[in-house]
Amino acid sequence: MIEVQGLTKHYTDLRRGRFVALDGLSFRALSGQIYGLLGPNGAGKTTALRILSTVLRPTLGTARVNGCDVVRQPSQVRRQIGFISANTGIYDRMTAWEMVEYFGRLHGLPKAELAERMELLFERLKMNDIRDLLGAKMSTGMRQKVSIARAIVHDPPVLIFDEATAGLDVLVARALLSRVAELRESGKCIIFSTHIMREAEKLCDRVAIMHRGQILAEGTLDELRREHSEQDLEELFFQLISRHEQDHVPAVQQETL
Amino acid sequence: MNLTNVRLILAREVRDQLRDRRTLFMIFVLPILLYPLLGTAYFQMIQFRTQNAMTVLVVGGGQLVSAPTPLFQGPQFCQQLFADGSRGANLLTLEIAPEGQFANDTCNDQAAEIGRLVPKKYDAALVFPPDFAQRLAAYRTAIRDAAGKPPAAGSTSQTSSGKNPEIPRPKIIYTTVNERSLLACTRLTAVLDRWTEEVGKTNLVAGGMPAEAVRPFAVESANLAGQSASKSVNIWSRILPVLLLLWAMTGAFYPAVDLCAGEKERGTLETLLSSPAERSEIVVGKLLTIMVFSMVTAALNIVSVGITGSLIFRQMENFGGPPPLAVLWLTLAVVPVAALFSALCLALAAFARSTKEGQYYLMPLMMLSLPMAVLPMSPGVELTLGNSLIPISGLVLLLKTLLEGSYMQALQYLPVVLAVTLAACWLSVRWAVEQFNKESVIFRESERFAVGLWLRHLMRDREPTPSVAEGLFCGAMILVLSFVFRSSVAPPSGFEGFARVTLVLQLAVILTPALLMAVMLTSSPRQTLLLRLPRWKMIPAAAVLALAMHPFIIGLNQLVMYLYPIAPEMKRLVDDLQTKFASADLGLLILCVAVVPAVCEELAFRGFILSGCRSLGNNRRAIVVSAILFGVTHGFLQQSINAGLLGLVLGYLAVKSGSLLPGIVFHFLHNSMTVLSAKITPELIERIPGLGLLVQPTAEGPAYQWPVYLFGGVTALALLGWFTWFPEARSAEELLQEAFEHTADDGLSAANV
Repeated sequence: MIEVQGLTKHYTDLRRGRFVALDGLSFRALSGQIYGLLGPNGAGKTTALRILSTVLRPTLGTARVNGCDVVRQPSQVRRQIGFISANTGIYDRMTAWEMVEYFGRLHGLPKAELAERMELLFERLKMNDIRDLLGAKMSTGMRQKVSIARAIVHDPPVLIFDEATAGLDVLVARALLSRVAELRESGKCIIFSTHIMREAEKLCDRVAIMHRGQILAEGTLDELRREHSEQDLEELFFQLISRHEQDHVPAVQQETL
Repeated sequence: MNLTNVRLILAREVRDQLRDRRTLFMIFVLPILLYPLLGTAYFQMIQFRTQNAMTVLVVGGGQLVSAPTPLFQGPQFCQQLFADGSRGANLLTLEIAPEGQFANDTCNDQAAEIGRLVPKKYDAALVFPPDFAQRLAAYRTAIRDAAGKPPAAGSTSQTSSGKNPEIPRPKIIYTTVNERSLLACTRLTAVLDRWTEEVGKTNLVAGGMPAEAVRPFAVESANLAGQSASKSVNIWSRILPVLLLLWAMTGAFYPAVDLCAGEKERGTLETLLSSPAERSEIVVGKLLTIMVFSMVTAALNIVSVGITGSLIFRQMENFGGPPPLAVLWLTLAVVPVAALFSALCLALAAFARSTKEGQYYLMPLMMLSLPMAVLPMSPGVELTLGNSLIPISGLVLLLKTLLEGSYMQALQYLPVVLAVTLAACWLSVRWAVEQFNKESVIFRESERFAVGLWLRHLMRDREPTPSVAEGLFCGAMILVLSFVFRSSVAPPSGFEGFARVTLVLQLAVILTPALLMAVMLTSSPRQTLLLRLPRWKMIPAAAVLALAMHPFIIGLNQLVMYLYPIAPEMKRLVDDLQTKFASADLGLLILCVAVVPAVCEELAFRGFILSGCRSLGNNRRAIVVSAILFGVTHGFLQQSINAGLLGLVLGYLAVKSGSLLPGIVFHFLHNSMTVLSAKITPELIERIPGLGLLVQPTAEGPAYQWPVYLFGGVTALALLGWFTWFPEARSAEELLQEAFEHTADDGLSAANV
């Protein structure tokens, strides 16, 4: 389970100066559920997920992964998560087998148990044909498969997918989504960030629509449709973002000036 | 730290690097190919140098064709005049200019005319004055006539007639711009030296004296090390340490860039950071990998150069391979050297956003490290206590001393060199770990850089105090401006000139940039420059501290002068300055040397620069960085060391008091005391009762009596201890950093920061 309360992150860069990447984000994702983070580019999805994976520290607020605080107990948090990002994070000069084995060993799995688990995993994900292929020679789909295998080799209770379908063709994306659905069935708590509405509609049990570091709407898809009297999720998303843009841009500009 | 994780990371990184063709080329292929290729090229060059004949134009040579001591033998110089006989004669061909070809009115015109042919047509020219042979013959006759007659009183070399016939000098015309011309001149000079000796012998024989009288005895030398060994050791002890350092650095750099910047670029670092491996384990794993490659690169290069060198030098007379013990010393040295450069490269590479950016950092690292490695190789530089305190130079000198076989000297300074090297390694590793802990470094993203955008950012996002980069930039700007100013202004002759230069330097070069930057780049110049009143007790405390510490600062100054003796030219300048001080008006002297620097330097270094450095989030480090900058801006090394140490105290006062005032008071009193000490003469000590209890006259000027040291030391320690009681006003970044450390240690959430 993931509990996020008032999560805030400030950055400074040349273009925007001091700006708030996350502004008091709060949500709760349960085990056996896929929680969708929906938002346009720059909404703060990746920042939130990086904080959940302890790679970044929050400026304010708390986040707990299976009861472990991301700031206080980062090591425990990292043992309970599998992180899959858009760029897959695959080493060019390692084979699929070596890569999954490496991360399995870092998670402290004994050699024999790891080998057994990897055999099953490679079988289930149909990766035996790319077992000895170097990362540099893999297609994007292959890389994403290896990335999933790497993230679930230690059977973590929480999985974080950061725009995992970006750059994948329709067939590979569809296969990935069905894998994510399978993982939900096995009782994992999954956070799935995307800006593709159809993926969220197909997959997510609950969604949070994010813009400029804030959650504009949160709930199940039915709850959102009912609350905003809009059946089409894409339309609903567009309306919320446009309204928020109109309401908050002057305030944001004032803040950054 | 989980060592299994470190081992896993090390094994992965090593395997990863071994699969990279560029790394394999740099580490294994290059050393194996490079030195044999260089050796072959060297042989080619040697052949070119020794086998190509040089052509010399001889003007006025016709008159010497039938000289009693022959210079020419047919179309060549005489073979007897060359150490290697006919071989040498063949390598210096000559062409005698026909009579009257260069018969210009003046010598200058003739030289200019011949000069037009060198080095285009001839490599050098040898010009004999028109009456050279005639005068030489006259001289010989005079010698013969004088033979047997007693020499005139008081004369040692003149003939009995009282005056030697003057012989005009032959002239070699050549140019240093051209390598062949230079070589031709060297050969020609050797030939003419031998010929002159032969002429002398002929003259002596003509006067009835034995020819051996020219060189009545020869000097022999006995080299205890054996000629071959000493030559080899001398050369190898200079080459091998520098090569070791150079390749340890190169071997560390490329893997470091690939392991850090490369991982960032490929997006794999984020995956690793979200794995259970702690950041310290990641850093150590990567550091060990880099060290492995650094050591292997250095070792392979040394082995390759050793083997190639031995093969090449074996063919040369009096030369041999590296001394056998070199293997032991270099093996022992490669570990700390590789550790130092690996940590430095890791920290630099962690900072880089991409491999391309990472590779840009190689040049500054080389520019900083190479002089420290190469300068100790200059003639006359030896391993001393002062040199052994310099990080890289000390190690190079220690290696050189060991290779030369001076074990006792090396053993004497071994602990110091080891301590300095280990301290440098430790600092570099800490820096590398910190780089990995900073998300602003690990997640630095490539931003579009545009000057307009950047300037807008500087103005728009102004903080109450400057950033680290702004602080360091101010320091660098002051450094560059003062260098330019000092280099462009002629040394002032009198005190007035000195006063004028000092005032301009302080006001325009040091104060103005800091003030302008404080106004333009910060939202609170007052907070930046610490323009607030401290607790009132701190002002007299700072004043007493300055007085109490003065004996120690003087002592420290003497220690620095002992460790790093001042160059004679610099000593002359310092003495000259002291003379100017002694004759100057006291009020003006205090204004120029104490008041103005105290205000200007404090505003710049403890005001803007220290405030900027405090954005590092660690006030101790900020004090050290600002003190280093303060030291570096001073004129010469010895002064810089003192100023740097003084900067530590001044920075501490500024941080503890939150105000610039105690520092200004301390700085003013310290400089005033230094000025006044120049005014204390032995006569003054005798005249003023009680002054002799405090100071005594010495050859180097007045020195404090030991009770003053004792009292000053106790008082200074008590005052510094007193200052520690006051909590310092922390910068926003320091508070943030402390909060993070606090939450990490005590389990409090960063949410409450």
